[in-house]
Amino acid sequence: MLEIDNLHVKLEDEDRAIINGLTLKVEPGEVHAIMGPNGSGKSTLSYVLAGRPGYEVTDGSVSFKGENLLEMAPETRAANGVFLAFQYPIEIPGVATMQFLKVALNSQRKARGEKELSTPDFMRLVKEKAASLNIGPDMLKRPVNVGFSGGEKKRAEILQMAVLEPSLCILDETDSGLDIDALRVVADGVNALRSPHRAMIVITHYQRLLDYIVPDHVHVLSRGRIVKSGDKFLALELEEKGYAEFDKDAA
Amino acid sequence: MNVALNRTVAEQALGLSLPHRRMEDWRWTDLRQMIDKPYPPRQKVAAAVGDVARLLASSLFAGVAATRMVFVNGHYDKKRSKLANGMVECRAEAVEPVQQMNAAFATGGARIVLTGTIDTPVELIFIATDAAPRAIATRNVIEVEAGASATLIETHLGEGSYLANSVTEIRIGEGARLDRIKVEHDAADAVHLAHTHVTLAKNVTFRDFTLTAGARLNRQNGTYEFVGEGSDAKISGVYLLAAKQHADSRLVVDHKVPHCTSRELFKYVMDDHARGIFQGKVIVRPHAQKTDGKQSCNALLLSGTAEFDAKPELEIYADDVVCGHGATAGDLDPDHIFYLKSRGIPEQEAKSLLIGAFVGEAFDTIAHDGIREALANFAENWLAEHRRSG
Repeated sequence: MLEIDNLHVKLEDEDRAIINGLTLKVEPGEVHAIMGPNGSGKSTLSYVLAGRPGYEVTDGSVSFKGENLLEMAPETRAANGVFLAFQYPIEIPGVATMQFLKVALNSQRKARGEKELSTPDFMRLVKEKAASLNIGPDMLKRPVNVGFSGGEKKRAEILQMAVLEPSLCILDETDSGLDIDALRVVADGVNALRSPHRAMIVITHYQRLLDYIVPDHVHVLSRGRIVKSGDKFLALELEEKGYAEFDKDAA
Repeated sequence: MNVALNRTVAEQALGLSLPHRRMEDWRWTDLRQMIDKPYPPRQKVAAAVGDVARLLASSLFAGVAATRMVFVNGHYDKKRSKLANGMVECRAEAVEPVQQMNAAFATGGARIVLTGTIDTPVELIFIATDAAPRAIATRNVIEVEAGASATLIETHLGEGSYLANSVTEIRIGEGARLDRIKVEHDAADAVHLAHTHVTLAKNVTFRDFTLTAGARLNRQNGTYEFVGEGSDAKISGVYLLAAKQHADSRLVVDHKVPHCTSRELFKYVMDDHARGIFQGKVIVRPHAQKTDGKQSCNALLLSGTAEFDAKPELEIYADDVVCGHGATAGDLDPDHIFYLKSRGIPEQEAKSLLIGAFVGEAFDTIAHDGIREALANFAENWLAEHRRSG
């Protein structure tokens, strides 16, 4: 589904490489965890896959469902099934969450040549998905992420994911700022979306999240490249030894 | 010392002098230079029945207002008006340049006394039909009696090339509530000059909203005087400006008595070479303690060639007050755009959504659902049409 080959990325206005020869293959149904210390390039990877401006790919390629992902506009990536759950979801004053979800879903359906969803059908869909994430009608009426607590923002991201039904979910530090109860709600929401047709990349600093979202593969990112890959036990090993050892390998 | 200037062609046609940039209040809007063609006053104009019908139907409030006074080319049209109690035609009487011009050649206007609770909005609609360039002036006097409650709409629209001058005096009595909505969508080649003076007695609730979208040149003065304690005024506006439109608003909110609250919120959306100006002054007189006055104006510049000037002023002579002002100008936030795009919303639609949200805050001050929706739809269409061509 996703093939990243020898990817090199830098900021547009800086010379230093942030992603430095990263190679990764993700198949449908798989959950990959990417772990690494601060500054290893985790968030940059998520932004480059989602198409955020400001980054320059200097070498390598990314193909998604056989097409060149890097050439697509962010909205095209989304319509084709890429979804990034932001580490810091953006607040958008004046745009109600419900309206935002509707415009997003129908834009994607339109782009894929599908019929737009009627308002009643849409409302039914959102209410059903929201209920399982403890999101009430009040939160849906409020402007996107404005005044939301840390936990509410992350739940709202997962709600968007549940409504938009992407085929590749990238979760950037979804556990940051969550207490254990909030983490469980979010993880349950993510696990409910696991399917043989959907792949997930879970980016995290800590092993804790992976107790709840159990990965098939774990990769250690250091200085912009994957320095070690393994199964879920690699995460436990990391928790015990820390990242220092892998940093040495990368250097 | 006043320097005698040779009268311009426009001044000769009008038979009076126009304000110019050496007058502090007019520094951004030099009418002497900007009104560059003659608009002779008092010209009798024949209006085609079809034109009048089309223009009246294009009011955003055709389905909202039950009673309306209709003015065609500055003259009261009795046949097409539907009056309620307390509405009669107002004749011109006679300090300020826009008012002077108005006093020189006003042809008509409304005099309305609003009493009791009036449930349906009252619309004053001023239309100009396509004819030779000319000046049209109207003067309105609105009296809201003590304890009354009403919604008053003022619609200005037209076709062709003309100069519209509109002066409105509003007196709101004790304990009354007035919701005033003004829509200026005069013709693209028109000039719109307006002066509004509002006096608020004790315990008044006043909501004033102005949508400015028409005319190539627009200047609106508003003076709001608190003369009774315990009153509350929210004054807001949305500007949708493109091409070479120039819109200058000069507002003075004068707190003459204690315990009053004023809020000003103005949102400018500007594209192409449009120019928006906001001059807002809040005066708090020595005895007006416990005044709570805030003004804010925000401009969204959609092109590198649009320009916004703001001159917020606070003149405070009392020591126990809460007053503030804020002005911002900028482009849409790229993080906002990326977030919407990352959810599959195409760029143009993402921008429209964000602009809609930007102006939405001002629309939210309108209490009447039908009026708010009509205005929000108008803004949405303006954006859709404009972003397509832009």
